[in-house]
Amino acid sequence: METYHSKMMKKLLSIFSLLAVSTAMMAQGAYDFKINEVFVLGCCQKACMKAEAGDSGCVAPADAKCMRPSFYKDEYGEPASWIEIENTSYSTHDIRNCFIATDKVVLDKKMSAPEREQLMSLIPAGDPRTLIKAKQRITFFVGNRNRGTLHTTCAVQLKAGEENWIALYDGNAVDLLDSVTIPALQPGQTYARLSDNTWQVCEASEATPNGPNQEYHNDKIREFKEKDPYGFAMTLMCMGVVFVCLLILFLFFQGFGLLLAKVVNKVTKPVIQPVVNAGERVMEVAKQASIETRGIPMETYTAVIGLALHEYFGGTHDIESGIITIHQNSNSSWSDKSHELRQTPQHHIATPTNHTKK
Amino acid sequence: MDFVASKFSDFLTYTGFANVEWANIIMIAVGAFFIWLAIKKDFEPLLLIPIGLGIILGNIPFKAAGLEIGLYEDNSVLNIFYQGVRQGWYPPLVFLGIGAMTDFGALIANPKLMLIGAAAQFGIFGAYMIALAMGFEPNQAAGIAIIGGADGPTAIFLSSKLSPNLMGAIAVCAYSYMALVPVLQPVVMKLLTTKAQRKIKMKSPRQVSQTEKMLFPIVGLLITTFIVPSGLPLLGMLFFGNLLKESTKTTRLAKTAGSALNDIVVMLLGLTVGCSTQASEFLTLDTIKIFALGAFAFIIATASGVIFVHIMNLFLSKDNKINPLIGNAGVSAVPMAARISQNEGLKADSHNYLLMHAMGPNVAGVIGSAVAAGVLLGFLS
Repeated sequence: METYHSKMMKKLLSIFSLLAVSTAMMAQGAYDFKINEVFVLGCCQKACMKAEAGDSGCVAPADAKCMRPSFYKDEYGEPASWIEIENTSYSTHDIRNCFIATDKVVLDKKMSAPEREQLMSLIPAGDPRTLIKAKQRITFFVGNRNRGTLHTTCAVQLKAGEENWIALYDGNAVDLLDSVTIPALQPGQTYARLSDNTWQVCEASEATPNGPNQEYHNDKIREFKEKDPYGFAMTLMCMGVVFVCLLILFLFFQGFGLLLAKVVNKVTKPVIQPVVNAGERVMEVAKQASIETRGIPMETYTAVIGLALHEYFGGTHDIESGIITIHQNSNSSWSDKSHELRQTPQHHIATPTNHTKK
Repeated sequence: MDFVASKFSDFLTYTGFANVEWANIIMIAVGAFFIWLAIKKDFEPLLLIPIGLGIILGNIPFKAAGLEIGLYEDNSVLNIFYQGVRQGWYPPLVFLGIGAMTDFGALIANPKLMLIGAAAQFGIFGAYMIALAMGFEPNQAAGIAIIGGADGPTAIFLSSKLSPNLMGAIAVCAYSYMALVPVLQPVVMKLLTTKAQRKIKMKSPRQVSQTEKMLFPIVGLLITTFIVPSGLPLLGMLFFGNLLKESTKTTRLAKTAGSALNDIVVMLLGLTVGCSTQASEFLTLDTIKIFALGAFAFIIATASGVIFVHIMNLFLSKDNKINPLIGNAGVSAVPMAARISQNEGLKADSHNYLLMHAMGPNVAGVIGSAVAAGVLLGFLS
């Protein structure tokens, strides 16, 4: 029964350890998808596309900017609304089996997972394009699932000229990974997330499907170059951090050392007294028996024997440095290897046991 | 016959003799010089022999014909080995070995010595300021300045992240100066100390319990990485290695980390770092500047460690004075710097053994330089 309990305890412990590790991984940003940019195709834009294709009758001055080749077209060369999702973590992750939703009904926590799935578009598995590298993006076209993985089902709908809501759900269709409410956009505009996680309406010329919403440049280096050209601030900050780290370590071990010294003194004092008592008794016996010490002071003999007796009767301690540990030899002459490994085996008088030869 | 002649002449165009340039010859001579230093002068042979041979290997000229043999060619064996340097996973493995071999006992026994390890890191930032003045970008300056930490793996780790184009020169410079520590440091130490100061005898360190030794890597890891998470790869592996050693339950793992694993990584690291110094990449004006800055960094680091001990002595009682000769050990060249403290101490007084005392700032320097690298990475990446 005890074995069963200990096995269960071990299993529970390993599960908790795994949970703790996975929590830590999440904390270090191992898994993080975010909606990055959204484009809603309006009716006038559809008309513009027709115009691009040759039907010039639709082009009105107000929609002139729609003529810019800003439309991101699907594999069939047709424009569509699109949703760009970014893997904001620093490792490669697969977005397969996640869900895209535009119906706010799914926010109802009482809904079961199968009910939710009916209202969402599943990102299918089996397409290598769903594997997104660190800081990279994937763009899904709204509707026309029959055209491939990068198209959503009809459950996802974006309405032109109206406010829309888009959500990204985890594979269980319950955990919300990210959501955004898109204001009513003018024709050609996109709604994009910036590096500081704020959202901005962008003009058609600024649309960046499958690309970063802002040009990447290392602001930190530029800032240091501009504001700290001689490196004084950097030196001051870095030396400060290095000193603080080592100062905290110094304070901790200084304090801990003092504390430990007190504890060790408390522990060792009661240990020493019985050893002294044992030594004194040994000394008396030795004097009475007039034992030969062969030039070694009697005190040394008595100290060693006293300590050995104390350890023998009182058990042993841990392996603190500076403290001698004398273990009782549990081997008999029959099992002690040291007796057997001599060139000429030495035979000692052993305590008779059941294994003694007759 | 014509066929054989044309093929043979074609073959000749592939040989090193047909493709050699003066720059290759110079670099091969540099590699041979490193090997000579290691064998004849006993300057860090474990590092200089792989680096020296790597320099020769990386400068064997050949015709670029997509044979996948060169260090910078995708899928070549050398390129695969080189990924450990480029991606920065050799340095943490070396730190694992260092942790498994290091006894932090001297540091725990006298924790105030940690501050010397912190002060010596000024070498890094002194060199950073000079590098900026010489026109390097802040990220390049930081990559170069870390040479002042006297820690090869840290230098490779940081430069691979901040200034990958200068990494070859930085790595060779860091390891070369580490090998030259016995030449550089004593001069600075003698200049900054008097004869009487060099004779200061320090109190014997107290006994350190195993509990303290076990606690050190855990507390050290928590404190340093909570403050500087960007130092996680180096500090994490350093303290992991040390915990393997001090836990007393994983002796086998500690032995592997400190011997076989460390040796394998050092071999590959040295060889590929050497290989990365191909003449076309290495023989530039920047390399000369980097070597000059590296020398400055080492001198500043040594001087700041020694000067900081003088400052500490102003506040310490007569019985607790620190011998300034251990100030040089604040750089993290373990254990060379501590050995120099010992040798210089013995020269001043043949009964003054400073090795144990010097190991304190020396191992603190390892932590300090990893923290400094983490801070620079956090600020600039």
